[in-house]
Amino acid sequence: MSEEIKADKVMDLRGMPCPMPVVKISKGIKEVEIGQVVEAHSTDPGSLTDFPAWARTSGNEILKTEQDGDVIKFFIKRTA
Amino acid sequence: MDQNTREELLRLFNSKLNQAMKFYLETCSRCGMCTHACHVHESMPQVKYIAAYRAEIVRRLYKRYFKKQGRIWPWMGESKELGDVALEELYEAAYSCTGCRRCMVYCPHGIDTQMLMSIAKLLLVGANSEPEILTLLADTSIEKGRSIDLLKTSFMQGVKRLEEEVVKKWKTEAGETTIPVDVEGASLLYVALAGAHSIIPAAAVFNAAKENWTLSFFEAVNFGAFVGDPTKTKLILDRIVNEARRLKVKEVCICECGTAYRVMKQLSGKQPFAVSSVTEVHARYIKEGRIQLDRFAFKDPVTYHDPCQIARNAGVIYEARYILNSLADDYREMSPDPKYNWCCGGGGGLVALGDETLDFRMKSAKVKAEQVNDTGAKILSTACENCHTQLSNLNDHYKMDVRVRFLSSMVADALVQPDALS
Repeated sequence: MSEEIKADKVMDLRGMPCPMPVVKISKGIKEVEIGQVVEAHSTDPGSLTDFPAWARTSGNEILKTEQDGDVIKFFIKRTA
Repeated sequence: MDQNTREELLRLFNSKLNQAMKFYLETCSRCGMCTHACHVHESMPQVKYIAAYRAEIVRRLYKRYFKKQGRIWPWMGESKELGDVALEELYEAAYSCTGCRRCMVYCPHGIDTQMLMSIAKLLLVGANSEPEILTLLADTSIEKGRSIDLLKTSFMQGVKRLEEEVVKKWKTEAGETTIPVDVEGASLLYVALAGAHSIIPAAAVFNAAKENWTLSFFEAVNFGAFVGDPTKTKLILDRIVNEARRLKVKEVCICECGTAYRVMKQLSGKQPFAVSSVTEVHARYIKEGRIQLDRFAFKDPVTYHDPCQIARNAGVIYEARYILNSLADDYREMSPDPKYNWCCGGGGGLVALGDETLDFRMKSAKVKAEQVNDTGAKILSTACENCHTQLSNLNDHYKMDVRVRFLSSMVADALVQPDALS
């Protein structure tokens, strides 16, 4: 499934406690160009709601969410 | 700084000037009792880290704009112009203070530096000079409240993933829900953090105690309070208050998050439900015989770090000791005692700022590391997410050789299972 969207940057956020996944993705998304995609891996179940809320707040777009065992993968397009 | 910005900031300053705040601003006698009270100053002895020095920056702005002498003769006395330099000083003061209130305990007048720093933080918010990430986190929490209907499915998926781990700690009986959510008429609403570690042990203990509980859709932490924005603090708080009222619960139990507990306990106003910390609830279950713990579950020496927002600032001190003495063979108190316990150095939003503050957090909490080491404990227990992260960082940095544990997870691990009871 993840082959369908090409990520320009992959961020390993596994094992990080709240709110670090959101803190890290907020900084990491600024390291790619507008229009590029970040693939973020989190094991924090709260990410399933935190990331969509963060994306709405920051103006970025979650293209896809995948679950692979304990790992949740977000494909986020920088749009802001 | 242009005149309009200054006027807006002074309006914000004025909004904080209640009777208590005026007392704090007009009372300091510069006795110096707070000098050695601050963990930052004690670890890094510099004048700028003395509590009274931090307060003085706010106080001089007050003298300049809110006292007759400062308004008429601003060049006289000790007043300060509100401009870009003052904002830089306010930032350094506010974000080198963790709001632990240890200085307040030593101050003969009871001056609350944390409250004075709330003025500094509000002015920084008004000038868009606050740490951007804290505002983003606060906005994200508010957005979750606004769009909860869209996020419920994702939330339920996340919760479902945790049930297997809960059952490993306490078996759910047939017909019971392992992690109940959105249960109207439940007795207790548990407000967790986003991480699994905040939900799994608590759920196991609630189920062991046969509690009629339900899990909140919202995370407990209040980033509005960290950044010092009263409007955002209230919006984040109201998500939980409204949920508790809708579900008609009798008690809102806040997870191991110091700021979340203090904000809910002290700022939610009069409500038809009680507010408690999960530490208080666990102590109550033990006292009432609703859960049984293995008295010798932890044989290594254990000490406990009092989260400032739960202990010194909200009075929950006895309960943690009661719990630890129910499950640990060798509990060791830190010195000095809980009222004067050193802050971990991670409060006030510093931990949430992540790597950006790591070097300062490690250097400024040297006294905390020494206090823990002096106990000789091998397990360092605490009941706050921020404290846990900071203490884990200290453990690595100072090679303290302790295991940092959440108190609630120790309770869950010490549960005596039903087959053992029979």
